[in-house]
Amino acid sequence: MSNKAARNLFIFGSLFFFVIFLGLTVDTMNQIDGRAPEITKEIDAGKMAWQKYDCIGCHTILGNGSYFAPDMTKVVERKPAGYLKQFLMDPRGVKPKAAMPKLGLTSQEANDLVAFLTWISKIDTNGWPPKPILAAAAGVAGKPQSRGQQIYQEQGCSACHNINGIGGTSGPELTRVGANGKDVEWHVKHLKDPRSVVPDSAMPPYAGMSDDDLKSLAAYLVTLK
Amino acid sequence: MTVKYQSQKIAQYFYTFAVILFLVQVVVGIIAAIQFIRPDIFILNFNTIRTLHINALVVWLLAGLMGATYYVVPEESETEVWSLPLAKLQFWATVGAITLVVLGYIWMGLDPQANSTVMGTQLLNEGREYIEAPRWADALIVVSVLLFLFNMFMTMWKTKKWTGIQGVLLFGLLFLALMYLPGMFYSKNMIKDQFWWWWVIHLWVEGSWEVIAGALLAFMLMKTIGAKREVLEKWMYIEVGLVLFTGILGTGHHYYFIGTPKYWHWIGGFFSSLEPVPLLLMVWDAFRTTREARNVTNKPGLFYTVAHAIFNFVGAGLWGIIHTLPQVNQWTHGTQITTAHGHLAFYGAYVLLVISMIYVTLPAIRGVKDYNPARAYLAFWWMTISMVFIVLTITGAGMVQVYMERLMGLDYVAVKTTYNLWFWILRAIFGVGFLIGVSIFVYDFFMLGKEPAPALRTEEQKA
Ligand code: HEM
Ligand code: HEM
Ligand SMILES: [Fe+2]
Repeated sequence: MSNKAARNLFIFGSLFFFVIFLGLTVDTMNQIDGRAPEITKEIDAGKMAWQKYDCIGCHTILGNGSYFAPDMTKVVERKPAGYLKQFLMDPRGVKPKAAMPKLGLTSQEANDLVAFLTWISKIDTNGWPPKPILAAAAGVAGKPQSRGQQIYQEQGCSACHNINGIGGTSGPELTRVGANGKDVEWHVKHLKDPRSVVPDSAMPPYAGMSDDDLKSLAAYLVTLK
Repeated sequence: MTVKYQSQKIAQYFYTFAVILFLVQVVVGIIAAIQFIRPDIFILNFNTIRTLHINALVVWLLAGLMGATYYVVPEESETEVWSLPLAKLQFWATVGAITLVVLGYIWMGLDPQANSTVMGTQLLNEGREYIEAPRWADALIVVSVLLFLFNMFMTMWKTKKWTGIQGVLLFGLLFLALMYLPGMFYSKNMIKDQFWWWWVIHLWVEGSWEVIAGALLAFMLMKTIGAKREVLEKWMYIEVGLVLFTGILGTGHHYYFIGTPKYWHWIGGFFSSLEPVPLLLMVWDAFRTTREARNVTNKPGLFYTVAHAIFNFVGAGLWGIIHTLPQVNQWTHGTQITTAHGHLAFYGAYVLLVISMIYVTLPAIRGVKDYNPARAYLAFWWMTISMVFIVLTITGAGMVQVYMERLMGLDYVAVKTTYNLWFWILRAIFGVGFLIGVSIFVYDFFMLGKEPAPALRTEEQKA
């Protein structure tokens, strides 16, 4: 190949691929609006707040950003909205060991951010993030579960709480919660309305559960010693 | 060795700015690494520290490449730079603008409320990774780059000696400048925001910057061992051609899971898997020419050039391809595996590239015949061994993270604060090793040519 041929190959080949890329870009732009809910004023304000506080300087969102703090794509599915708002405004007020600093968000900004993150969670991401495939295998291998244990899983308590290393870190660890002397009655009351026993609790109330379920769940908790 | 055209010495201004920022980048990187273990250790939060770390990186690499271009274009065009005062103005204006941006980041770090919205955009920090610089700074950066490109085109125009090397170099720079623009507007839609953001990031590091690297590789091989231009330029065209054939559509490897259509899985997976091919070709090119070499005029320069080619392939090519298929990327996307790749790729492809250009051109700029290369090699080994270990520790952290968080479903914070703790500690320790290497390099940069070379010294003694 002569130098001139190589040069022409470079110029026209690159141009060729760039044109294809432009075509695909146009097509993608046309499809994007259909792949997520409509953007309200609140969501837009939430995105502006996201940028103002440089959240991406610690977190990833849609898997892009910094790897210092959890991914935000599905965070609203894992944490109750009320908890999220309280946490955003004062992380350590809710979770004393939180690494996140208090950034000075207003109540309005926190609402907008929750709206923004809710919108993000509804984007069609081609199935990302995938469900953890080993989680099922690592569960209670063959052992029958108590009713309380089942409810603990159904309600998704492990999104915030941790038992034997499995679960979140937003709420206190429950591995030995039964050892603290609280009885079934106390737990039922706490589950129905956390603030009736722990005044500034950030845990959402589970008042909608039946009394039977509440009792089974509480009974399970006091066995954790 | 001495420069043919006095105005080539302007390169040194840019190099000096670059190496100082390199030192800043790495010191700040160590603070960031320590914050993984103790988040509250410093007055500025992690996000500000990280912003400084990656912005310092990008700016010093760009400054280094600009300096290199101010050296290469007069050499290739066989004439002085079109306007030296303009070049100096462009230099000082760039330094001024960057200083303002950095002060803005720090201010916003101390008081997030200072980052208020003015005319629909953030005043101090745009909150978008790598392109955090606010809109007014974007405008200043564009002006600076336009002045620079204009000066270089006018220099070429004076003699109209269009060589392949400078043609490709300036094409790469023009492409680089154009690819800054997609990052300069606000999108309400986060999917579109990220779509255009990747145009900037990906089409820089896997497009225009690799094109520049291809041109400079040819230049350096020509200068250090007198390899034949004809052959070098032919392979250069093939290499940079393949970079763009694979790299442009390879952008698709960032469009798997951000809300863009599924066809990107096929396009991105296929083309990005081929991206290592041109990088391997560059390694072969470097070895082929080096084997034929009769007279090596600048050993450290050649040493760094070959190392750049190798680590470009390892960091970008190998550490890139391991997570580029959608089937793998769905598990590793946004984990420490990405950071590991980011570090080795930037180090191999561009840190070593700029340092090679410095060692290839600085002796001539300083007008020294010979110099003691010991520190150049020492700096290389400190930096490279430390970087390899930094990358191995965070690759390890990434594997633990992928397994425990992504496959088993453990909480992110639990994995980070307990299972990965030792990896963070080791990373910080190797970071100090890297800082030692950088310090040796920066010291050598300032001393080169300012002390008698050992060979000369013994001759003096004999006399
Ligand atoms: C010198 C060239 C390269 C540099 C400097 C580089 C740098 C980077 C950086 C910094 C990121 C992270 C971006 C972020 O902050 O989100 C990244 C992501 C990525 N790179 Fe590269 N890269 C290079 C070449 C390549 C190549 C050749 C491949 C493929 C063969 C590749 C594959 C990837 C992939 C798949 C990701 C996304 C990771 C994720 O999903 O989290 N890179 N690259
Ligand atoms: C002393 C050496 C260094 C240390 C301790 C260090 C530490 C760090 C830390 C802690 C982060 C944040 C990672 C995260 O968000 O999870 C980071 C990010 C980054 N650093 Fe460094 N760094 C060092 C040197 C370098 C060098 C020499 C380069 C360039 C070659 C570099 C390029 C980057 C890049 C591109 C990112 C963004 C990562 C990404 O998005 O993938 N760092 N560094
Ligand atoms: Fe990429």
